[in-house]
Amino acid sequence: MALRTTTASLAVLTLADARFPGGGHAHSGGLEEAVHRGAVSDPRQLREFLHGRLHGAGAQAAVFAAAAAHAAARRVHPHHWSRLDAEFDARTPSPAQRAASRAQGRGTFRAGRAAWPSEVLDELLTITGSPHHPVVVGVLLGAGASGTPVEAAFVTAYLSVSGPASAAVRLLGLDPFAANAAVAALEHEAEGVAEAAARSAGESPEDLPGTSAPALDLLAQEHQRHHREEVRLFAS
Amino acid sequence: MRSAASLTVELDGTGGSVVRGLRSAAPLTLVPRRRGTGAPGPAVVHLVGSATSPLGGDDLALRVRVEAGARLLLRGIAAALALPGHRPGGSRSSISIDVEEGGTVEYLPEPTVITARAEHRAELVVRLARSARACCRETLVLGRSGESPGGLVTSTSLEREGEPLLRHTFEPGGERLRASHGHLGGARVLANEVVAWGRDPELPRSEPDWALLPLAGGGSLTTVLAPDAVTARRRLAEARAVHPAVEELTPADGPW
Repeated sequence: MALRTTTASLAVLTLADARFPGGGHAHSGGLEEAVHRGAVSDPRQLREFLHGRLHGAGAQAAVFAAAAAHAAARRVHPHHWSRLDAEFDARTPSPAQRAASRAQGRGTFRAGRAAWPSEVLDELLTITGSPHHPVVVGVLLGAGASGTPVEAAFVTAYLSVSGPASAAVRLLGLDPFAANAAVAALEHEAEGVAEAAARSAGESPEDLPGTSAPALDLLAQEHQRHHREEVRLFAS
Repeated sequence: MRSAASLTVELDGTGGSVVRGLRSAAPLTLVPRRRGTGAPGPAVVHLVGSATSPLGGDDLALRVRVEAGARLLLRGIAAALALPGHRPGGSRSSISIDVEEGGTVEYLPEPTVITARAEHRAELVVRLARSARACCRETLVLGRSGESPGGLVTSTSLEREGEPLLRHTFEPGGERLRASHGHLGGARVLANEVVAWGRDPELPRSEPDWALLPLAGGGSLTTVLAPDAVTARRRLAEARAVHPAVEELTPADGPW
């Protein structure tokens, strides 16, 4: 095995890069609706929004990314993928958030398959039809790119806040330096979320921890409703 | 205080539902409503907190079984107050409900108020047979007026034939998290109602402070954020009014 001298693999950097062509730029993670309501309008409020998003939606996504990376590395029975899929669905009561997760899963699957193909990835698609985003990230790293559960969790936790932060620049005309600083301020918390997710990675799908964020569920549904009625910049 | 209560409801042969087995265990007291034998309709049982509960150190468990074709309405009569106790460790209450084919359970407790320094854990597990139905409500009041709540973890798990419909875990967290619009949006009251009735709303419905959400595996969840319990109850009623099974659900506002 080659010695790795850097702390993050190229696969991890690529998946976390805003230029990764997985379609993540189309989603604001509820921020557009929060801005529309006047709940987020400055860098401080953005930081608080991201803090909440990381600990709810971000933590749950990290848990499933870590579990998927763990499962992909140990070559689970294909049925495992449908159980993970159903358990993620059961922890995501908002149809708008389920749809956003599957849409980003599809985009990440297409871009990721060209870079890190694996039998497990194809199996995941065959079983679920349209896999959830954190599960795709976990399988890409766990099967194709020899990443670890904690790396998969960390990438997913980061994406749960980096997307909304860059959306804030477009929605509010916010200073890009301030938006970037709001993400950077979450370093220790994002690490904590990823480490906690990695600890549960080997658990059976039904026992994986979930975290609901009711305010985000309401924002997601209202965004979807308004999206049909008026022009919105983001799909979610 | 450790206590384990249990309740079994069955059909009585004339179409009515009756309580067959009932074991109260303080502070969980189960009080069946008296009615004439052979009367149709659900068995109605009131869940009465007979001592101040839940207190730190309490471990309260209730097991409920609804047999084939029977119908149970289990309701609370007063708000529960989660308080710290004299002994170390938090309080825990767990309710598990199994519903057999054709059976129905409606669990409509009053709000739980999480006081400062409480450490409370609440679990509800509902397992449904293929044709069983359920409606379960939860109202959480985070602190009395002007009070910050203590610790809380609440989880609801609903399964049909072993398949997960809902796994809902909520932890309000500290003041910063509660205030975040990406988490709880500063609401003091969170209310949920999960309905698995065979007929589900085809589309979600939403307003700024409530949403009726069709679940992926069947059933629906109503989520409400409100400044107080009275408003939360009103929003739950608004969401119910657009649920296709509304006519068959027992009205949540009595008469008791």
